[in-house]
Amino acid sequence: MQVTDQDLQYFINTIKSVSKYDFSEYSEKSLKRRLQKILEDYNLDIISLLTTLRLDRDFLEKVVKEITVNTTELFRDPPVWHLLRSRILPRFKNNKTINIWHAGCSTGQEVYSMLILLNEMGMLEKAKIFATDINSDVLDVAKQGVYKYRFNLGYLDNFDKVIKENPLNFEEYNDVPYEKYFDIDKVRDTITIKKTLTELPIFRKHDLVVDGNLFFAKFDLILCRNVIIYFNYSLQNKVFELFHNNLYSKGVLLLGMHETILGPWSSRFERLGQAYIKK
Amino acid sequence: MKALNNLKLAQRIQLTIIPLMVVLFALAGLTLNYFSSTRTINNSIKEAHVYIDRLIDIVNIVELKTGKGLTSSDIFELKPYFIKPAFNKTDFPSLISKNGEFLIHTTRQGARLPIKAVQELKNLKANEGHLTYQDFTDSFTENRILVYKYYKPYNAYIAISVSPTEILEQVKVNRQALIIIVILSSLITALIVSLLLKPISRQLAHLSVRLKQLAHGEIPTYVKVTDKSELGNLANSLNGLIDGHKSTTEFAQQIEQNKLDFEFKPLSKNDQLGMALLQMRESLKRAQHEEAKRKEEDNIRTWVNVGLAKFGDILRQNNNDLSLLADSVIQNMVNYLNANQGGIFMVKDNESEKYLELLSAFAYNRKKFLQKNIMFGEGLVGTCAVEKQTIYLKEIPNDYIAITSGLGEATPTSLLIVPLKLEDEIFGVIEIASFNEFAPHQIEFVEKVSESIASTLNSVKNNIRTRELLEQSQQQREEMTAQEEEMRQNMEEMQATQEEMQRKNLELEIITSAINQSLVSCSLNEDGFITDSNIVFQELTGYGKAELEGKLLENLIVESQRQEYNKLWETVLNGQSVNTTLHLTGSNNNERFLLATLTPGFDPMGTLIKILLVGHDITEARKLEIMTQQQAREIEKNIKRVKEEQEISSQRQQEMETLLKALDQNCLITIIEPDGLITYINNKNVEVLGDRKEDIENRYLQDIDFTAKNKPKEFERFWKALHKGIKQTREFSLEVKGKTHWVLENYTPIMSEQGELYKIINIGIDITENKEKEFELNKVIEQLKQQLKK
Repeated sequence: MQVTDQDLQYFINTIKSVSKYDFSEYSEKSLKRRLQKILEDYNLDIISLLTTLRLDRDFLEKVVKEITVNTTELFRDPPVWHLLRSRILPRFKNNKTINIWHAGCSTGQEVYSMLILLNEMGMLEKAKIFATDINSDVLDVAKQGVYKYRFNLGYLDNFDKVIKENPLNFEEYNDVPYEKYFDIDKVRDTITIKKTLTELPIFRKHDLVVDGNLFFAKFDLILCRNVIIYFNYSLQNKVFELFHNNLYSKGVLLLGMHETILGPWSSRFERLGQAYIKK
Repeated sequence: MKALNNLKLAQRIQLTIIPLMVVLFALAGLTLNYFSSTRTINNSIKEAHVYIDRLIDIVNIVELKTGKGLTSSDIFELKPYFIKPAFNKTDFPSLISKNGEFLIHTTRQGARLPIKAVQELKNLKANEGHLTYQDFTDSFTENRILVYKYYKPYNAYIAISVSPTEILEQVKVNRQALIIIVILSSLITALIVSLLLKPISRQLAHLSVRLKQLAHGEIPTYVKVTDKSELGNLANSLNGLIDGHKSTTEFAQQIEQNKLDFEFKPLSKNDQLGMALLQMRESLKRAQHEEAKRKEEDNIRTWVNVGLAKFGDILRQNNNDLSLLADSVIQNMVNYLNANQGGIFMVKDNESEKYLELLSAFAYNRKKFLQKNIMFGEGLVGTCAVEKQTIYLKEIPNDYIAITSGLGEATPTSLLIVPLKLEDEIFGVIEIASFNEFAPHQIEFVEKVSESIASTLNSVKNNIRTRELLEQSQQQREEMTAQEEEMRQNMEEMQATQEEMQRKNLELEIITSAINQSLVSCSLNEDGFITDSNIVFQELTGYGKAELEGKLLENLIVESQRQEYNKLWETVLNGQSVNTTLHLTGSNNNERFLLATLTPGFDPMGTLIKILLVGHDITEARKLEIMTQQQAREIEKNIKRVKEEQEISSQRQQEMETLLKALDQNCLITIIEPDGLITYINNKNVEVLGDRKEDIENRYLQDIDFTAKNKPKEFERFWKALHKGIKQTREFSLEVKGKTHWVLENYTPIMSEQGELYKIINIGIDITENKEKEFELNKVIEQLKQQLKK
């Protein structure tokens, strides 16, 4: 059975009425597909789903978690990391501290990628890393820093591309061993981030739609990659406003590969690839 | 006697001895008394005889004188010799007739002897002797002894009646002394007896107390031995007894505490208790020894059984994790055998050959993380695996543990290597090293357990393989699910991204078309060449699209702005967008102004890909602006002029202020309202005229002015003139502190724009000096005039 616009509206309203979650400004098409998936996975029709949502708080949390998409990788989209390495992070080289917010950090790979890059650049000591996500399950995974190994062999490729190689200078090659940052256990099929890294970031549950800035700090760098694609135009602008307000002047907002700021907030940022620098 | 039995010994002795002594002494005294009084009486009788004999001598003489027979002259003659008592008070000598009549007697002459005595005297028929008789007098009866001698011439008895009582009077003193002696000696005896008895009694009491304690089974303290008497011996013996009791008790206690090796000497060969105890000890020792032996056997049996049960448990419990099982087995084995290290090897199959893999090693109470493979036949372990026989070494080569066995570190003294075999199939080897030798039962035990281990190893191996396979498939299934979910999420993300991009594209298209329709727009490459342009831009410049492509934008810009443009271009290349007004020259030298934004475009890597120019034709506005600018310039000029004038006037004001200051210092200034109220006087005024500020200010001129007082008409004229705006001057003098001051006053009326009096300012000048000089001059002139007249 196909989810109708009406169903989606009911779903959004139900969730909004029984919890603080608000999906009303999420991208309709995407949300519809997620809802479809949930109905199929639980083998429910929309009425029973809504009833259960009203009655069972835990189930609601579970559904919210399943609605969110948690795709991430270590050093996802290496060109973006090159940009960070060559053009963005050097801007903060002389800062006393660098506040970084990973909004929508998912299972934490991006956070650890950032820590590794900062460490390689000798800036880790200055960095204060805050990482948030709406889904507390993925935050738990993020805190552990343990990922599947075989399924994620691409991580190591990305690591090579970002850390070992330099696209601007093909002769350069930094032989950083994986063991410096990971424990790879092929038998258990795990790749584990070293404890020295996992204990650094501050992980918090956070809903970009309603929670504002959880931290009593402004940021030099906000990474919010592949998040706003699930939001509609209006919510995107709200999120941009939130980020703009909580960035230092000349602070940088980094969006996903195919995300751009259009509309009213575009003029408040200077664009540099996927990076938007607050004017 | 019964009462006596209850008394203490000393008391008893005292009670018996002391009266006995008293009686004995009394008896002795009495006897003594008796003998002495008898002797005294006898002596007295003898003395009486002697006295009688002497009287007879005298009587003989008298007889001779008087003639024969007794006559009165005889009595007369004899009487004086009979007056005095012989010895005592009453033993008067007497002459008694045969019938007992006292012929001569000092007191009883004429009286008679009692008849009994006379009778007896007759009966005696002796010429001399003595007899005892009872003498009766009026008042009393008395026993007396009559000593007599028959005197033939007179046929009478010459006698003396002696009173024993009187004789014994003398002895009485002796008797008293005797009594005292008896009492004293009794007392002394009693004292001595008690003195002698006291220590004995005390000693006896001590002994008795201890004996009593001994009787109660207590161990008393030692008795102090004070002498070597029987009591001393008794005390010594008692002490000996206490000693014996003590040591026997201690010995018994030691036995009770199971200290069977305690040294104990019986008190003597005949010490029955001691000997019995010694025998008891011996039998206890024997029993214990036997018990120990039995116990040890029991222990061994229990040890083996408990061990078998324990390892049975261990083998049952951990049979799903081989390494855990091996850890547990070897750790427990080493601990159970009190050994210090051990290892367990498992047979593994390599494609070509069999070898032994060290599953777990345990040494000195900790797990060892060692990895070692030993080929069959290699070293002792390998040999054991091949031979399938237990190897037990009591001497180990120094470097064996470190090199061959793989257990490492120090070299224990005993080494036990047992094959883990089941029905002659070998599954592994267990190796245990110890600093103690292994007892046969221990070796047997290890061998027994080894079978169980082998069996478990076998099943665990199988189990694990099965489970691994199961888990693998399960894990694969889970992984598949997880991956599927992840893929679905990836898909969702891609889809969402795509949608977002579509939306963006749509939006961009709208923006682009809006730009193209209304704004000037063109794209440039990083060298500044135009790569694309829209119609508005073409219209603006008057060139066609093809003409523009490949043209440098710089070439369209008027010469005067090119330098500025090049600078901006650098900024743009550095990644900043720039807003500017470009002054362009079109195709037919048509000048155009373009309010433009140059925005650099980067790819995700941050590499510049193109520069977008978007702008607005502001030529008309610009022209208007130029006009406005000209107007503005004129206004600016005006402003400048006004400013200059302002400056001048402010300069003047300053000068005025300086002047006023000077005036204030040199002149007396008074400011007066049109109605005459004085609102201000300056310090000079105060200084010269001596009136205080507060006396003058806020008062009316007409009230304090001299002229107004003295010449009202003149003042009125003066006042009116001022109101008409006519300046007034007047002079006056005033005496201040004995000095005459002259002041010249200038009243200046200040009129408002409406022609009304606004304020009157009076500037007074102190002209005293001038006046004085004038006076002097006048004087001189007067003098000169007078001289001239002369």
